[in-house]
Amino acid sequence: MSSEVVIQTRNLTKIYRDFWGRKKVRALNSLSLDVMRGEVFGLLGPNGSGKTTTLKLLLGLLFPTEGDVTILGRPASDVTKNERIGYLPEESYLYRFLNAEETLDFYGRLFKMPANVRRDRTKKLIERVGLTHARRRHVKEYSKGMTRRIGLAQALINEPDLILLDEPTSGLDPLGSRDMKDMIVKLRDEGKTVVMCSHLLADVQDVCDRIAILDGGELKVLGKVQDLLKDQGVTQIKTSRLADNVVKEVEAVLARHGAQVLEVDHPTTNLEDLFVKTVRESAARPGQRYVAPALPASTAT
Amino acid sequence: MSLNFSPVPFDLAAGFTHWLVIMVAVLALSFVLAIVISMLTLGFAGPVEVVVHSAGAFSDFLGTSPRRCLALTTLTFREAVRRKTLWVFAVFAVLFLFAGWFMSEATPDPDLQVKNYVSFVLRTINWLILPVVLLLACWGIPDDIKVRSLHTVVTKPVRRHEVVLGRIFGFAAIGGLVLVIMSAIGYVWINRQLPQAKGAQLIARVPVYGEINFLDNEGKPTKEGINVGDEVMFRSFIEGNTKARAIWNFSNLDPSRFEGQGRLVLESSFQSFRSHKGNIERQLMCQFTLINPKTKLRVPLKAFEVHEFRRNVYDVLAQNKTLQDEDGNSVELLKDIIQDGKLQVETACLSSAQYLGMAKPDLFVRLPDRSFAASYFKSITTIGLMMTMVVVLGVVSGCFVKGPVATMLTAFVVVVGKVAHSFLQSLVTGNVSYNPNVKMQGSGLFDSIYRIPTHLNPMVEIDNKLVGRVVSTLDNIELNALWAVQHMFPDFASFDTTEYVANGFDVPWAEALLPSLAITVGYCLPWILVGYFSLRLRELEAK
Repeated sequence: MSSEVVIQTRNLTKIYRDFWGRKKVRALNSLSLDVMRGEVFGLLGPNGSGKTTTLKLLLGLLFPTEGDVTILGRPASDVTKNERIGYLPEESYLYRFLNAEETLDFYGRLFKMPANVRRDRTKKLIERVGLTHARRRHVKEYSKGMTRRIGLAQALINEPDLILLDEPTSGLDPLGSRDMKDMIVKLRDEGKTVVMCSHLLADVQDVCDRIAILDGGELKVLGKVQDLLKDQGVTQIKTSRLADNVVKEVEAVLARHGAQVLEVDHPTTNLEDLFVKTVRESAARPGQRYVAPALPASTAT
Repeated sequence: MSLNFSPVPFDLAAGFTHWLVIMVAVLALSFVLAIVISMLTLGFAGPVEVVVHSAGAFSDFLGTSPRRCLALTTLTFREAVRRKTLWVFAVFAVLFLFAGWFMSEATPDPDLQVKNYVSFVLRTINWLILPVVLLLACWGIPDDIKVRSLHTVVTKPVRRHEVVLGRIFGFAAIGGLVLVIMSAIGYVWINRQLPQAKGAQLIARVPVYGEINFLDNEGKPTKEGINVGDEVMFRSFIEGNTKARAIWNFSNLDPSRFEGQGRLVLESSFQSFRSHKGNIERQLMCQFTLINPKTKLRVPLKAFEVHEFRRNVYDVLAQNKTLQDEDGNSVELLKDIIQDGKLQVETACLSSAQYLGMAKPDLFVRLPDRSFAASYFKSITTIGLMMTMVVVLGVVSGCFVKGPVATMLTAFVVVVGKVAHSFLQSLVTGNVSYNPNVKMQGSGLFDSIYRIPTHLNPMVEIDNKLVGRVVSTLDNIELNALWAVQHMFPDFASFDTTEYVANGFDVPWAEALLPSLAITVGYCLPWILVGYFSLRLRELEAK
């Protein structure tokens, strides 16, 4: 993460009004934040907290009621900034009558991209999002997960410096969700800046460097994920598996130093890891299945 | 077969000046209005915003990318095709399959049969293609906004007017493709449907029209001839065997373009009105006199019978072995009579107490015919121009209202422009719609409001000078407002060139194609500007 500011908002406020200009709702209130180059920045919050409104203000789809937005050094209303931006909306709003190749070719043509570069990039992106088998099918025939994947591919067609993702894992199965998160981390490793908004906290925790929590249109928390989640009152030591007597000795040593042992346990993996592992093994060894152990004779009917 | 209207050449320079004045006035008015509204809503920051947006618009238009426009055009075209727009051909095919049953041999008159076939084809194309493109164009952008596919586009480096242009070009391209195929099928259908003998009637006559003047029964100049009782008088009548004459002044004749490079052919289609039966077997007699407008040399030609509802073709040299002036001296047509491209043709009715009716297009100098195909496809071009206008209007409406409203708005403008434009024109100019030389009786709205309760007829001046001045001022304001409203609606009727082709005339450039083209460009440019600002100033995600 560099110190270069990619997105800057100052006192950004958005009030939705009705037809007669009367205030309907204050969706965002005096939001001031900076996003640095090369970080994954998460906007968190419950429904209606102003996350998506913020993204749309950044993109110029909405106009601020008050305050300023600068993206990549340009105002949000300047369309030339979009040359370096990729955007994945919450729902992938694509043309349903186009197939994957036509979709990427169409969006590619909106950038200064020669035909051969467009063709290569289309092919690579379709492979990257795993849609090679369905590249000739119309988008209207895609499942939600496939639509998200082609949506991500269109967001990356111009190899953007800044990628804005609105609920990137919504509608994806655990495997797709993992792939999406891996891709976000990879983009960060390539030096790209990613801003994502989500209410799936685990996803945000997995990939974000910094987060902002919004509620009722106001910024409540802003900082590094690690710093915000760190519990300074507890120390955790991880080792390879210890024998029970060794554990008892360690506990005795800790007690001598006045420490209270809160929990000694073998850590469990999370359900997502288990799911991904199972599905990937299944793909590697098709036909292998789980056979339940035989029940004792007395319980059999 | 003649035209039942007077083709008037379009004055491009005057039209452009008129357009420029209106555009500057509208832009200035819009700018002032924007400044006022922005000050009311945003305070002193408002005018700055207006200037920034205006400058932004300028830079946006300068940065137009043909590549992006083409991408959006291709997308629109593909979308229309995949939404099965081309099914319109099925309706077209059904109409053409069965039309032959009802139209074949419907009339023994070959001219009329050709007219029926040509009118049917051109009107069918017109009325099939316009609703299709209207619906496509009006729903394109609103649908894009509704399903939010436009959001993904405008978050790319696409300027809003490129979206508008892409949509316009795309719909115009699909409409153009449909039009080309339909017109080709229509052309083949006309040729196949007509028997071999009647196929010769498929011609495109090239007329040169003159200005018409009248002399009354005593030989004195008059604005028009006699009205024989028509409520709507298109033709004026001259009485037979009197000094009444109709005189056509031709001012731009080029003898090198005449038939056989020197033969003068006059074609007329006068209407007869009999005040007594006379010899019913015999048609009314008519005589032309050629006059050199400079030297006043008069050359009477052989009289001829006027055949009503038919083309009366008069080849001057073929029907007059020698040309002689009134004193019996021989004269040469091109040397002594037509001078500097100018010629007068005086028309007299020779049948006593009978009347011949004539209007400007009833007599013309006929130049060598052109191909029917060229005239037919010129008429198709004007349909294409009208279709383009409908597309532009539909797309632009879709930029600021939803699909159903855009459809109604566009349809309203088309219907008013097609049906009521001449009526509005007559209200504004005070001339009757069928004859621009005739003033309407009566006065303005406020004048009438004053006269009705005071039982004052329109022929009497209002006594009270002050009241008269107030009424006249109010009527002027009302007329100017009406003028502005009238100019908001394009004259769609002028795009209909079916009459030319169906009546066997070439579609003229100056009278038909040029005005259609000028109207298209003149209206489409400001409409595109409206579409651009509507989309640029619109929050696509507004709740």
